[in-house]
Amino acid sequence: MPRLLGVDIPNDKQVVYSLQYLYGVGPAIARDACVKTKINPTKKARELDEDELSRLASLLERDFTVEGPLRRQVGQAIHRLREIKCYRGMRHKLGLPVRGQRTRTNARTRKGPRKTVAGKKGVKDLR
Amino acid sequence: MGRSTKKGPYVDPKLFAKLIKARETNSSQAITTWARRCTIVPEFVGATFMVHNGKAHIKVFVTEDMVGHKLGEFAPTRTFRGHGGKGGKK
Repeated sequence: MPRLLGVDIPNDKQVVYSLQYLYGVGPAIARDACVKTKINPTKKARELDEDELSRLASLLERDFTVEGPLRRQVGQAIHRLREIKCYRGMRHKLGLPVRGQRTRTNARTRKGPRKTVAGKKGVKDLR
Repeated sequence: MGRSTKKGPYVDPKLFAKLIKARETNSSQAITTWARRCTIVPEFVGATFMVHNGKAHIKVFVTEDMVGHKLGEFAPTRTFRGHGGKGGKK
């Protein structure tokens, strides 16, 4: 399997789709990258040669923020919010939804698996 | 939806006047305000505000990083006392 930008090994799908396995590359950037490097987007990733791979890698690194740098950018943005101790920063710290969603129910993505509390009223009792 | 760029950031006029006045008189005292919805603009940097949270005024020292946020974001309105504990609280 071809390696692109260090760790990532997209599989034997078409180039447009396998590029999307990179962090920070979605449909738009994948398509854009194919056009700019003049690579047939429907070609299988396995069939990419050395030259095409290096063209893709250098283009993605130069024109877009992907992988490591993007992760760092996001991390720093969150860190900044925490640092200034604003509302959003506090929500990040607490591991609760940041954008005003309800937390009475749902919000499981942020809160993680349910922690059942012993002796708490069951759903039936509440009704 | 965000605010129209045409209007620029919302800055409470009264609060801004207070700030200018404090600058002129060189007073370093915290400015008490209820204007939580007021955007922090670069002019605020270095000033200290007492922002109302519905109950009391919370001291907020404005740093450069806070520019673009609202004053209210730094004065939490809710106190989380935690869940559980023996027999619950109260």
